[in-house]
Amino acid sequence: MDDAVIAVALVLVAACATVAVATRDPARQALVLSVLGVVLAVLFTVLQAPDVGLSQLAVGSALTPLLLLLTVRKVRRRGQREESGR
Amino acid sequence: MNGWILAATLTLAAGLTASLWGVATGPLRRRVVAQNLATAVACPGLLLLAQGYDRPSYVDLALVLALLGPVGTLVFARLLAGELAEDPPRARGVTWAAAGLGAVVVLALCAVTGPGRATAKLLVTGALLIGGNLVASRALTGGAGGTGRA
Repeated sequence: MDDAVIAVALVLVAACATVAVATRDPARQALVLSVLGVVLAVLFTVLQAPDVGLSQLAVGSALTPLLLLLTVRKVRRRGQREESGR
Repeated sequence: MNGWILAATLTLAAGLTASLWGVATGPLRRRVVAQNLATAVACPGLLLLAQGYDRPSYVDLALVLALLGPVGTLVFARLLAGELAEDPPRARGVTWAAAGLGAVVVLALCAVTGPGRATAKLLVTGALLIGGNLVASRALTGGAGGTGRA
Protein backbone atom coordinates (compact mmCIF):
# COMPACT_ATOMS: atom_id res chain seq x y z
CA MET A 1 0.00 0.00 0.00
CA ASP A 2 2.87 2.35 0.74
CA ASP A 3 4.28 1.50 -2.67
CA ALA A 4 0.95 2.30 -4.30
CA VAL A 5 0.87 5.86 -2.97
CA ILE A 6 4.51 6.38 -4.02
CA ALA A 7 3.69 5.09 -7.51
CA VAL A 8 0.70 7.42 -7.78
CA ALA A 9 2.80 10.41 -6.74
CA LEU A 10 5.59 9.51 -9.16
CA VAL A 11 3.20 9.11 -12.10
CA LEU A 12 1.55 12.44 -11.26
CA VAL A 13 4.94 14.19 -11.10
CA ALA A 14 5.98 12.71 -14.43
CA ALA A 15 2.71 13.68 -16.13
CA CYS A 16 2.72 17.17 -14.64
CA ALA A 17 6.33 17.85 -15.61
CA THR A 18 5.64 16.67 -19.16
CA VAL A 19 2.65 18.98 -19.41
CA ALA A 20 4.73 21.86 -18.04
CA VAL A 21 7.32 21.31 -20.75
CA ALA A 22 4.71 20.94 -23.49
CA THR A 23 2.81 24.12 -22.61
CA ARG A 24 3.92 27.07 -24.75
CA ASP A 25 2.29 30.17 -23.25
CA PRO A 26 4.25 31.35 -20.16
CA ALA A 27 1.13 32.37 -18.18
CA ARG A 28 -0.45 28.95 -18.63
CA GLN A 29 2.91 27.34 -17.91
CA ALA A 30 3.03 29.17 -14.56
CA LEU A 31 -0.31 27.55 -13.65
CA VAL A 32 1.04 24.08 -14.49
CA LEU A 33 4.23 24.81 -12.54
CA SER A 34 2.22 25.73 -9.47
CA VAL A 35 0.38 22.38 -9.65
CA LEU A 36 3.75 20.68 -10.18
CA GLY A 37 5.03 22.28 -6.97
CA VAL A 38 2.11 20.82 -4.99
CA VAL A 39 2.52 17.37 -6.56
CA LEU A 40 6.27 17.38 -5.85
CA ALA A 41 5.57 18.26 -2.21
CA VAL A 42 3.22 15.27 -2.01
CA LEU A 43 5.93 13.05 -3.53
CA PHE A 44 8.50 14.22 -0.98
CA THR A 45 6.01 13.56 1.81
CA VAL A 46 5.29 9.98 0.76
CA LEU A 47 9.06 9.43 0.46
CA GLN A 48 9.27 10.45 4.14
CA ALA A 49 11.04 13.76 3.54
CA PRO A 50 8.52 16.30 4.89
CA ASP A 51 11.19 18.97 5.48
CA VAL A 52 12.02 19.02 1.77
CA GLY A 53 8.31 18.99 1.01
CA LEU A 54 7.78 21.99 3.25
CA SER A 55 10.34 24.11 1.43
CA GLN A 56 9.04 22.86 -1.93
CA LEU A 57 5.54 23.98 -0.97
CA ALA A 58 6.74 27.41 0.09
CA VAL A 59 8.72 27.95 -3.11
CA GLY A 60 6.66 26.06 -5.65
CA SER A 61 3.07 26.94 -4.88
CA ALA A 62 3.29 30.72 -4.62
CA LEU A 63 6.76 32.15 -5.20
CA THR A 64 7.71 30.61 -8.57
CA PRO A 65 4.40 31.54 -10.28
CA LEU A 66 4.62 35.06 -8.84
CA LEU A 67 8.11 35.62 -10.22
CA LEU A 68 7.17 34.10 -13.59
CA LEU A 69 4.03 36.19 -13.98
CA LEU A 70 5.79 39.39 -12.94
CA THR A 71 8.51 38.72 -15.50
CA VAL A 72 5.99 37.99 -18.25
CA ARG A 73 4.10 41.18 -17.46
CA LYS A 74 7.26 43.30 -17.50
CA VAL A 75 8.48 41.81 -20.80
CA ARG A 76 5.07 42.34 -22.43
CA ARG A 77 4.90 45.96 -21.27
CA ARG A 78 8.36 46.68 -22.62
CA GLY A 79 7.41 45.09 -25.95
CA GLN A 80 4.28 47.20 -26.20
CA ARG A 81 6.16 50.40 -25.35
CA GLU A 82 8.76 49.74 -28.04
CA GLU A 83 6.06 48.99 -30.61
CA SER A 84 4.18 52.21 -29.85
CA GLY A 85 7.44 54.19 -29.85
CA ARG A 86 8.26 53.27 -33.40
CA MET B 1 -1.31 -1.04 4.79
CA ASN B 2 -4.10 0.90 6.45
CA GLY B 3 -7.28 2.65 5.44
CA TRP B 4 -5.98 6.19 5.93
CA ILE B 5 -3.22 5.76 3.36
CA LEU B 6 -5.70 4.08 1.01
CA ALA B 7 -8.06 7.05 1.38
CA ALA B 8 -5.15 9.46 0.84
CA THR B 9 -4.08 7.55 -2.29
CA LEU B 10 -7.57 7.65 -3.75
CA THR B 11 -8.06 11.33 -2.90
CA LEU B 12 -4.72 12.38 -4.35
CA ALA B 13 -5.02 10.20 -7.45
CA ALA B 14 -8.54 11.32 -8.33
CA GLY B 15 -8.25 14.97 -7.34
CA LEU B 16 -4.79 15.70 -8.68
CA THR B 17 -5.43 13.84 -11.94
CA ALA B 18 -8.60 15.86 -12.46
CA SER B 19 -6.85 19.15 -11.70
CA LEU B 20 -3.87 18.22 -13.89
CA TRP B 21 -6.26 17.52 -16.76
CA GLY B 22 -8.04 20.80 -16.11
CA VAL B 23 -4.84 22.80 -15.94
CA ALA B 24 -3.41 21.24 -19.10
CA THR B 25 -6.37 21.76 -21.43
CA GLY B 26 -9.15 24.18 -22.08
CA PRO B 27 -9.55 27.94 -21.76
CA LEU B 28 -7.72 30.03 -19.17
CA ARG B 29 -10.75 30.32 -16.89
CA ARG B 30 -10.84 26.53 -16.46
CA ARG B 31 -7.11 26.39 -15.83
CA VAL B 32 -7.11 28.81 -12.90
CA VAL B 33 -10.02 26.95 -11.28
CA ALA B 34 -8.13 23.67 -11.72
CA GLN B 35 -5.02 25.17 -10.11
CA ASN B 36 -7.12 26.23 -7.13
CA LEU B 37 -8.62 22.74 -6.98
CA ALA B 38 -5.14 21.17 -6.84
CA THR B 39 -4.26 22.89 -3.56
CA ALA B 40 -7.76 22.27 -2.17
CA VAL B 41 -7.44 18.53 -2.80
CA ALA B 42 -3.77 18.08 -1.87
CA CYS B 43 -4.34 19.55 1.60
CA PRO B 44 -6.85 16.88 2.78
CA GLY B 45 -4.61 14.28 1.12
CA LEU B 46 -1.64 15.42 3.20
CA LEU B 47 -3.78 15.34 6.37
CA LEU B 48 -4.81 11.75 5.60
CA LEU B 49 -1.18 10.83 4.95
CA ALA B 50 -0.14 12.31 8.30
CA GLN B 51 -2.75 10.15 10.02
CA GLY B 52 -1.80 7.10 7.94
CA TYR B 53 1.90 7.32 8.75
CA ASP B 54 1.02 8.13 12.39
CA ARG B 55 3.30 11.20 12.33
CA PRO B 56 1.42 14.21 13.72
CA SER B 57 4.24 16.54 12.63
CA TYR B 58 3.29 15.93 8.98
CA VAL B 59 0.20 18.06 9.65
CA ASP B 60 2.54 21.06 9.32
CA LEU B 61 2.71 20.43 5.57
CA ALA B 62 -1.06 20.61 5.24
CA LEU B 63 -1.09 23.75 7.39
CA VAL B 64 1.48 25.48 5.17
CA LEU B 65 -0.38 24.39 2.04
CA ALA B 66 -3.69 25.66 3.43
CA LEU B 67 -1.98 29.00 4.08
CA LEU B 68 0.00 29.36 0.85
CA GLY B 69 -2.33 27.70 -1.67
CA PRO B 70 -4.93 30.49 -1.66
CA VAL B 71 -2.08 33.04 -1.76
CA GLY B 72 -0.89 31.46 -5.01
CA THR B 73 -4.39 31.55 -6.44
CA LEU B 74 -4.73 35.21 -5.44
CA VAL B 75 -1.46 35.92 -7.28
CA PHE B 76 -2.98 34.44 -10.43
CA ALA B 77 -6.27 36.28 -9.90
CA ARG B 78 -4.40 39.57 -9.59
CA LEU B 79 -1.85 39.21 -12.37
CA LEU B 80 -4.13 37.54 -14.91
CA ALA B 81 -7.00 39.92 -14.11
CA GLY B 82 -7.09 41.40 -17.60
CA GLU B 83 -7.55 38.08 -19.36
CA LEU B 84 -9.92 36.72 -16.71
CA ALA B 85 -12.19 39.79 -16.84
CA GLU B 86 -13.06 39.08 -20.49
CA ASP B 87 -14.04 35.49 -19.71
CA PRO B 88 -14.76 35.12 -15.98
CA PRO B 89 -14.43 31.63 -14.45
CA ARG B 90 -17.36 29.84 -12.88
CA ALA B 91 -16.35 27.55 -10.05
CA ARG B 92 -19.24 27.21 -7.64
CA GLY B 93 -19.68 23.43 -7.88
CA VAL B 94 -15.96 22.64 -7.75
CA THR B 95 -15.40 25.02 -4.84
CA TRP B 96 -18.16 23.57 -2.70
CA ALA B 97 -17.12 19.99 -3.53
CA ALA B 98 -13.54 20.74 -2.43
CA ALA B 99 -14.75 22.53 0.70
CA GLY B 100 -16.98 19.56 1.54
CA LEU B 101 -14.10 17.14 1.07
CA GLY B 102 -11.90 19.22 3.35
CA ALA B 103 -14.62 19.43 6.01
CA VAL B 104 -15.29 15.67 5.92
CA VAL B 105 -11.59 14.80 6.20
CA VAL B 106 -10.91 17.27 9.02
CA LEU B 107 -13.96 16.13 11.00
CA ALA B 108 -13.07 12.44 10.57
CA LEU B 109 -9.49 13.09 11.74
CA CYS B 110 -10.75 15.12 14.70
CA ALA B 111 -13.05 12.26 15.70
CA VAL B 112 -10.08 9.86 15.65
CA THR B 113 -7.61 12.19 17.36
CA GLY B 114 -9.76 13.08 20.35
CA PRO B 115 -9.64 16.37 22.22
CA GLY B 116 -6.32 18.11 22.67
CA ARG B 117 -3.82 20.37 20.96
CA ALA B 118 -3.64 18.14 17.88
CA THR B 119 -7.38 18.56 17.34
CA ALA B 120 -7.08 22.31 17.67
CA LYS B 121 -4.33 22.30 15.03
CA LEU B 122 -6.48 20.17 12.74
CA LEU B 123 -9.41 22.54 13.16
CA VAL B 124 -7.21 25.56 12.42
CA THR B 125 -5.91 23.83 9.30
CA GLY B 126 -9.43 23.00 8.18
CA ALA B 127 -10.68 26.52 8.78
CA LEU B 128 -7.74 27.99 6.86
CA LEU B 129 -8.29 25.51 4.03
CA ILE B 130 -11.99 26.11 3.57
CA GLY B 131 -11.87 29.85 4.24
CA GLY B 132 -8.88 30.36 1.97
CA ASN B 133 -10.52 28.41 -0.80
CA LEU B 134 -13.75 30.35 -0.62
CA VAL B 135 -11.83 33.65 -0.65
CA ALA B 136 -9.63 32.52 -3.55
CA SER B 137 -12.44 31.29 -5.75
CA ARG B 138 -14.48 34.40 -5.00
CA ALA B 139 -11.49 36.48 -6.10
CA LEU B 140 -11.26 34.40 -9.29
CA THR B 141 -14.92 34.51 -10.22
CA GLY B 142 -16.06 37.86 -8.88
CA GLY B 143 -13.33 40.34 -8.14
CA ALA B 144 -11.12 39.40 -11.06
CA GLY B 145 -11.41 42.82 -12.60
CA GLY B 146 -10.57 44.55 -9.34
CA THR B 147 -14.07 46.04 -9.25
CA GLY B 148 -14.97 44.57 -5.89
CA ARG B 149 -16.75 41.47 -4.71
CA ALA B 150 -19.39 39.79 -6.81
